[in-house]
Amino acid sequence: MSETLILAEVLDLNAAQPLKAELLALRGHALTLDASAVERLGGLCLQILMSARKTWAADGVNLSLGSVSQYWTEQWAALGAPDFNNEGALA
Amino acid sequence: MDAFEAIKVTFFQECDELLADLEAKLMLLEQGQTDLETINAVFRAVHSVKGGAGAFGLEALVRFAHVFETLMDELRSGRKPCDTITIKTLLRASDVLADHIQAAQGLIPQVDEGRSAALVAELEMLTHGGEAPPAVEDEDDDFGFMPMAFDMALDEPVAAPEPELEAVGWRIVFKPMGRMYANANETGLLLRELGRLGPTTVVLDDSETPTLDALSVEDGCLTWTVDLDAAVDEAALLEVFDFVESDCELAITPLGGASNMNAPFEDEPAAVLPASDDLDIAALLAKASGAVADPVPETIPFAAIEPEPAPAVATPAPTPVAAAPVAASASVAPAPVTIRVDLDRVDRLINVVGELVIQQAMLSQRVLESGLARSSGIALGLEDLELLTREIQDSVMAIRAQPVKSVFQRMPRLVREVADMVSKQVRLVTVGEDTEVDKTVVERLAEPITHMLRNAIDHGLETPDERIAAGKSAEGTVRLAALHRSGRIVIEISDDGRGINRERVKKIAIDKGLIAADAPLTDEQIDNLIFAPGFSTAAVVSDISGRGVGMDVVKRSIQALGGRISISSVPGKGSTFTLSLPLTLAVLDGMVVAAAEQTLIAPLPTIVESLTPQAADLHFVGGVDPVIRFRDRFLPLIDVALIMGFREQPMNPTDGVAVVVETEGGQQAALLFDAIQGQRQVVIKSLETNYQQVEGVAAATILGDGRVALILDVDVIVTDMRRKSIRPDFKLAS
Repeated sequence: MSETLILAEVLDLNAAQPLKAELLALRGHALTLDASAVERLGGLCLQILMSARKTWAADGVNLSLGSVSQYWTEQWAALGAPDFNNEGALA
Repeated sequence: MDAFEAIKVTFFQECDELLADLEAKLMLLEQGQTDLETINAVFRAVHSVKGGAGAFGLEALVRFAHVFETLMDELRSGRKPCDTITIKTLLRASDVLADHIQAAQGLIPQVDEGRSAALVAELEMLTHGGEAPPAVEDEDDDFGFMPMAFDMALDEPVAAPEPELEAVGWRIVFKPMGRMYANANETGLLLRELGRLGPTTVVLDDSETPTLDALSVEDGCLTWTVDLDAAVDEAALLEVFDFVESDCELAITPLGGASNMNAPFEDEPAAVLPASDDLDIAALLAKASGAVADPVPETIPFAAIEPEPAPAVATPAPTPVAAAPVAASASVAPAPVTIRVDLDRVDRLINVVGELVIQQAMLSQRVLESGLARSSGIALGLEDLELLTREIQDSVMAIRAQPVKSVFQRMPRLVREVADMVSKQVRLVTVGEDTEVDKTVVERLAEPITHMLRNAIDHGLETPDERIAAGKSAEGTVRLAALHRSGRIVIEISDDGRGINRERVKKIAIDKGLIAADAPLTDEQIDNLIFAPGFSTAAVVSDISGRGVGMDVVKRSIQALGGRISISSVPGKGSTFTLSLPLTLAVLDGMVVAAAEQTLIAPLPTIVESLTPQAADLHFVGGVDPVIRFRDRFLPLIDVALIMGFREQPMNPTDGVAVVVETEGGQQAALLFDAIQGQRQVVIKSLETNYQQVEGVAAATILGDGRVALILDVDVIVTDMRRKSIRPDFKLAS
């Protein structure tokens, strides 16, 4: 059964370390990220999420994105980031 | 206050810091430290002011800052020399910049347009040499700054200016390092700024991103490639990365066959931005904008989102044109983490802690009265509580402590202006700017220091000709120093001028009826006549120091702070004014004494020793005025209860206790009290605020038993009150 990690509202510099720790704690589990509350997304947290995407793919475990906020959608596009779910699908 | 106004307030606060930094760096330039880092620091300060001002549409400020910044850009590129004339102009320009900021804040009605325009002309002359500056239209185009709309919607790019076409587009490849984020900058904001220049295609390359276990949160590993489809000027691009150029790897290449892009960044000094430049108004605005624009983020399922169009450009491997980032200079210390707190909150906390101290004292008193043994658990617990209370109080006071730098940094401008007005050459030397004192004291120091500096330049220093004739250098020196001494802050303002003309001072004092013609006065007493009300040595009231505020007003304002002012002067060598002020206006360590059934507090820092008068040590000068032998000297013995009017007849000195005190001027005397009751820290309550000023009393406090005790103004008692006979109408108690 897939676990769900609800991402914090503010994913900035201060949120980076906790986010990494949370993700590492869930490593090996199928995981769905809930970004419905996210109101800020900074570069450091973005790279942690991209790293997680790569890690889960390497582990052959599913990592996907569930609900997202309007902000997330816009910011993700503005940052030129690829479709989050794709790499997980490759695994 | 709405979010926008709150940010504006923050902007002006930061402007104060930027101006202080600007002034400090310009002073370094003036002292000959014309290295690139200092020039860059000046540039950044002006640039930051300009950037923030643009966001708020403060056009006059932006225009002035732009001209200022343009010259700084010439200096940092080495195209113009940083010579004495330029530095003098920059110093004056910083004054006008400060005026523009004050005008934008509404603190002054308007900027002196004539002065501002003259400075702009001077700056442009220095920037462009003898050549005429570019036409105004060109200048606008060259701004490189665009007023940011508050709503930073990405679909509303501000039309880019139309510079000369050099390329039809640009490819920007940048890789932020971890410290870019640590410096409160964000990729998203940079991308937004690029988006304002024209349509962009953004591609994120995460190929260097390791797996989570190998990922260091402190390092950056993402690379962005942005293709900008707009023929903007290169300067506009550089401006976007101005604050992060040393915190990211950056490469900019022209697209579309442009030919003349040769090493656009090579002239750019790779500088490490100090933490003070981390103030990112754009970030604040974006945050506020976000809060306003989408207060409730709409939650939609990811599947419903229209996928982003596939990136038009694959991750490129451009030939980097830009300079590689430069490692941080070892000399740049990490900035301390700070928060801004509303002063009212701190004051509330201080008041509450003051009440806590009083309550704790009252509780101790009750325990004492209840007859509990000192070794009882309650008494011991109370002692611990007292220590803790003391620690809390010290910590709270430390929050309010500020370096006097904020006041000292306003003075170079004053000195420049006054020196110009009186045609004197003046060098200001400041010492001890980091000396800390309570914020209230700092704020109230500005006016007396300003007045005394004006006075020193206007009256103290000679004209260049007079100085040369006297065998001195044409340039006079005024020294402003701050130091801690005996639990107080001491401010010294000294000049190397002519010193006080005692003959003249004495003559004026006699003419004005301040002293008798035959009064035998010491040099020190003559010098101190300038503090007498109504005294003014200026034959003609000048614009500089004769502004209707005499030294007596300065003295009173210092006294109102619980401070003292004294002067020492050597003819032909100069004068020194010394201000001594308490470090805080909130608490005081005092000795609790009794005088004719009144409880008084003698400030501990003034006390030298206490002793029981022996009849053999007592003498009466002229059979009336008692003196006491103290370490082979005779000190005047002052019956405090008598001169304060607490009793009619003097007490027998051998029945009381003598407390030897020392004034700020170093004068010693023995104060006679009935008894010493103890020593404690007391919370100062202003007598002026709650009642009225009383001679000989500095303030009041509330004791543990709830009674009010007066805190003695030792200097006034020793120097002034003792000299006077007791006025019959002056009675504090019957």
